[in-house]
Amino acid sequence: MPEQPGPEEDVGPVDGQVEAPVDGPVDGEAPESEPEPVRWQLGKSHRKVDAMERMRGITRYTDDIKLPGLLHCKILRSPHPHANILSIDVSRALAMPGVHAVLTGEDLPVPYGVIPWTPDETALACGKVCYVGDGVAAVAAIDEDTAIAACEAIDVEYEPLPAYYDPEEALAGDHKINPYAKRGNLSKDVVLEFGDVEASLEQADVVVEGEYYFEGTTHGAIEPHCAVAQVEPNGLLTVWSATQVSHYLHRELAKVLRRPAHTIRVIQPPLGGAFGGKSEPFDLEFCVALLAIRTQRPVKCLYTREEVFYSHRGRHPMRMRYKTGFRQDGTITGVSARTFIDGGAYSSFGLVTTYYSGQLLCAPYAFPAYRFHSTRAYTNKPACGPKRGHGSVQPRFAIEVQLDKAAVELGLDPIELRRRNDIGPDGMTVNEFKIGSNGFLECLARVEAASDWGRRATLPYGRGLGIAGSTYISGTNYPIYPNEMPQAAVQVCLDRSGRARVFSGANDIGQGSNTMLAVIVAQELGLELDDIRVLSADSDLCPVDLGAYSSRITLMVGGACLDAAQKLRRKVRAAVAKRWELPARRVTLIDRKAMDLEDPSRSVSIVEAFQWAEADHGLLGEVGNYNTPKDRHGSYRGGTIGASPAYSFTAHVAEVEVDPDTGVVEVKHIWVAHDCGTALSRRIVEGQMEGSAYMGFGEALMERHDVDPGHNGVHIGPSLLDYRMPTFLDTPELHALIVEAPDAQGPYGAKEAGEGPLHPSIPAIANAIYDAVGVRLDSLPFAPPRVLTAIDDRLALEHAGELPTFKLGRGRAGLASARAAGGVA
Amino acid sequence: MAEALLSLRINGESVHAAAPAHWTLLEVLRYRLDLIGSKQGCDKGDCGACTVQVDGEPVLACLTLACAAAGREVRTVEGLGWSPEASNGCHPLQDAFDRWDAAQCGFCTPGILMSAEALLRKVGRVVTRDEVREALAGNLCRCTGYTKIIDAVVDASEMLAAPRDET
Amino acid sequence: MLRLPQFGVALPSNVDAVVALLRDNPGARIVAGGTDILPNLKHRLDEPGMLISLAQVSELRSIAKLAHEGREVVEIGAGNTLTRVSEDPLVRELFPSLATAAGLVASPLIRNMGTLGGNVNLDTRCRYVNQTKFWREALGGGCLKSEGNVCFVVPGGRNCVAAMSSDCVPVLISLGAEIVLAGPEGQRVVPAAKYFKADGLRHTVRDDAELTTKLRVPVPTTPRRSAYAKWTVRKSIDFPLVSVALRFDLKSDSVDAPVTELVVVAGVLGAKPRVIAKLDDVIGKPLSDPALSRIVCAAVGKQCKPLENVPYEAPYRRRMFEVFTRRAIAELVAAG
Repeated sequence: MPEQPGPEEDVGPVDGQVEAPVDGPVDGEAPESEPEPVRWQLGKSHRKVDAMERMRGITRYTDDIKLPGLLHCKILRSPHPHANILSIDVSRALAMPGVHAVLTGEDLPVPYGVIPWTPDETALACGKVCYVGDGVAAVAAIDEDTAIAACEAIDVEYEPLPAYYDPEEALAGDHKINPYAKRGNLSKDVVLEFGDVEASLEQADVVVEGEYYFEGTTHGAIEPHCAVAQVEPNGLLTVWSATQVSHYLHRELAKVLRRPAHTIRVIQPPLGGAFGGKSEPFDLEFCVALLAIRTQRPVKCLYTREEVFYSHRGRHPMRMRYKTGFRQDGTITGVSARTFIDGGAYSSFGLVTTYYSGQLLCAPYAFPAYRFHSTRAYTNKPACGPKRGHGSVQPRFAIEVQLDKAAVELGLDPIELRRRNDIGPDGMTVNEFKIGSNGFLECLARVEAASDWGRRATLPYGRGLGIAGSTYISGTNYPIYPNEMPQAAVQVCLDRSGRARVFSGANDIGQGSNTMLAVIVAQELGLELDDIRVLSADSDLCPVDLGAYSSRITLMVGGACLDAAQKLRRKVRAAVAKRWELPARRVTLIDRKAMDLEDPSRSVSIVEAFQWAEADHGLLGEVGNYNTPKDRHGSYRGGTIGASPAYSFTAHVAEVEVDPDTGVVEVKHIWVAHDCGTALSRRIVEGQMEGSAYMGFGEALMERHDVDPGHNGVHIGPSLLDYRMPTFLDTPELHALIVEAPDAQGPYGAKEAGEGPLHPSIPAIANAIYDAVGVRLDSLPFAPPRVLTAIDDRLALEHAGELPTFKLGRGRAGLASARAAGGVA
Repeated sequence: MAEALLSLRINGESVHAAAPAHWTLLEVLRYRLDLIGSKQGCDKGDCGACTVQVDGEPVLACLTLACAAAGREVRTVEGLGWSPEASNGCHPLQDAFDRWDAAQCGFCTPGILMSAEALLRKVGRVVTRDEVREALAGNLCRCTGYTKIIDAVVDASEMLAAPRDET
Repeated sequence: MLRLPQFGVALPSNVDAVVALLRDNPGARIVAGGTDILPNLKHRLDEPGMLISLAQVSELRSIAKLAHEGREVVEIGAGNTLTRVSEDPLVRELFPSLATAAGLVASPLIRNMGTLGGNVNLDTRCRYVNQTKFWREALGGGCLKSEGNVCFVVPGGRNCVAAMSSDCVPVLISLGAEIVLAGPEGQRVVPAAKYFKADGLRHTVRDDAELTTKLRVPVPTTPRRSAYAKWTVRKSIDFPLVSVALRFDLKSDSVDAPVTELVVVAGVLGAKPRVIAKLDDVIGKPLSDPALSRIVCAAVGKQCKPLENVPYEAPYRRRMFEVFTRRAIAELVAAG
């Protein structure tokens, strides 16, 4: 094949182009030897593109940024849960040596909020404080010690006000917590009804009623929030922040600082975990920005762990009253839900949370009638917001326990009951969301088999298996602020050396989105992952992305990246095909080569292929876009909220051991099967599933984020000692079972994997506890005293003949003697 | 405030830095020596992100006074890459973590590596999953659910044991 | 970052120098492993002008069996890390419950730093105390143990009831250990059982100018069974919420042999560990006798009255003291 030079041969001029200079190599000159084949494969396990530098300690997270003349910022916080600020005197602080500037609420008075409809907070308190920890003033000084001393020298006169810690009390209360609230302490009220719920419950053979309480939890990312700001010599304000939504931060900075967005650059350095806890602007970002402007020096603010707890935006406490109707065969006739949501002092994403608390419940089970009424109230607590599985982890707990109760009452296997209610693929939910691919039945089958579910019938007293299922969104169909622009956009460039660059606004928060982008580009262009440089989340260098929330990045940003990469692939194939005088469809890009599909011995290195393409098309750069389908949501007010291009599905089986003498619940195993569409990177998907199951497990058993109403609303333990995140020794064996039901909306069929796999954790454990000892834990967390009380109550009822003996004959003899020895009735 | 001159041994080399007496080893590493691999997560010994080795034992740099580390061998994650077991600047543990995707956000990883390296050195053979759990029980990770970390540490211990078995 | 207050650090190289520094610098505090005092200083529970570091005092790190006043004892230097204590062959052989307790303290990282002396002198803890200064200000200005003069655990209370939260202390008391102190007046020896006081502000008899140098633990002269039982929410990092040490001396080396002496000690109640009284009925009963377990558990249940000073409901913890005692005895019996 003399006309098809191999990679070892000199290509020579093509189409009369000027020959390369002979006196030295040029960039991208054809390599001497056969290119090394790539080591990775789509859908298999492979390394991440940016993990090694993190493990070597080289990666610069936000707090690792060093700038000459750096000043340190500390924020003075309110010791009162609710108070008017009568006066603030900063003169003593300002007079201290080493103090460069002090800000108070009046310096940053423009209200903001991540949801444009609810701008109800200011960077620092204006006129009043709404919870213990609310920011009041900010100091920039030469070091942290000086800044702390200066904060202590700020004199604030407060007039304490009555505080509310319960949403229903707050709604009935006389004192308005948040001045931006429209009515009393109501933050958001949503009532939606689909079908005739009353009739559906009347027609039911069995109606299960339950009241559930989900105490709050927080994200617990190991990296505390941190921000650095600097004014460039040309006046550009640069803000580095440990955020997962750099674009929303950019917008709010422009708004609050009252300067055009083009005078601000936002950079998200590599991030040390987020889980939703960094998905909106926080006081520190505004403070360092304005302090940098005021002092004309770089300013950094690093939260203490305690401040991270006050910033919170974690899982909302919810009190949920559910009625669910079932026919004898286990099929659901209707669901009615009344939910009170404890919002804390600010809205955050609360408008969305309120909708999500009902809207995301309409799969994986079909039901013909559904009504939910969710009410979010302001309270004098750290503001709640989105935590992994935003708004739907709490109601998922309620409904999955409801299903379990029904299974017991109807004498059905709880997996079978779920199977009978499966909504299936390509259907429509009762609230008019269009479902695409759906692997829920396979998820159930996988956890059923892996957990050896059949042994459940013979497990002794104290041991139990529990099942729960769920669904979640792969991004939302509509952005947070209305606009006609694409939901995601990516720019990809090819280099004549055989490398590719991806420019993306997406925030890699540890979930691996940079790797996901590299995977897509490498797959389309036949490259090794190391051949690709992903530049992300820098507003000056990258196209806008909306951020790492609602599990949108793989589907949306991945989709945009695929669009760009495919355009480039077409150009490269065309250039090769032209030289080989073949139809382009015969050319593929694989293993760092362009290859003739019908004659695989004919190939050219990808370097040459890129050079041919660049010669034909000019510099190889393409943009890609992704836009959501606009025909998959409900045609009613609020019908867009919660609608997604594609839905993931999950099932968990948890195996627990409950100690009937102590109430201690030990989770031995969690099998988590998750339909992620297509797994692009197997171990990364497994890691998301394991991390999700872990996080739900911690929430179920030991994590508590709350304030103490009896003691001035102080946090019950704002530290990683008191907020108990499970350690290596506590965590069960986690078994990730990937299920693939590819969805036409996702790149290569991929859907989300970051949040969905958390949902069934808590109800699966609750249901396993019932299976073990016959008690229902309808309030979180399942702490030993609560479990023990429930066991005591059941034993008392059994003793009185009001309940049958649970698991009679299966290990109960030991219990009776133990109880007798312990002297407990 | 007055700063004292500290003479430390870090990753096998003598290092000098001026720092206030009340600074912790973590602060000196991060903000004086720019050894940023050791992380600040919880402020006070609750998370393990700051784990370094002092005289071979993993300890919390956030609760170690810098001046009390004088005269002792401090080892940080940056030093793993030039340990005898490393190849191409990469310790077998780091390689195993990379292959297993055991680092998600990577913020806890340097501390976990320092605890894990001490375990492998102390045990000197292939470790069990339970030994890993016990040894790493002071290091919190919020991303992974620990599974892949355990996989990676066991794998690394096998890699380290393999050449010895051959000889 | 949560900051330490500003202080100077002294690095003496022997006990005499430490004692001299303590004498010459009233208010100076000792720092050994740092895992208790440094978080407390970060919380501004004290602001000493000087910390005296034991980092270079190597004489505090021996463990040796020797004859002392006609009996065999093991002297454990106060500067030994908890890891070392938990792994030391002599300790494991002669005082397994101490090895267990030391090995259950907090986390491996903290055990690598924290010392036995530090664990013995661990400051008392309370949910209303061990938080930041800001938090205590929000609480209403602190309490008896911090900046205020009220008690949030016992409203109206005038005595601080912060909890003795050391894992090793109940065990050391149960083993009849003595605490050796070095001070300006020379050496002083205090039985562990008399070392603690029911005052959360100052819960030991150690004078500010004294240094704990070693623990002297008598080697058993009869066959013995001992245990330490701890409950916490997590299996690592956490302080104990239920803590019981048990020691049974036996007439012969069998759990069916009569008990000749026993000591049961509970921690995490108030500031003083509780040595369970009125166990005389047990003497002479075999350890394996279910009646023994019943009597001991009943006494524990009656005498251990936890307070709401640490997390988790006091009634639950009270019940757990009994359950954990019962289980510890059952495990000893089962082990034979």
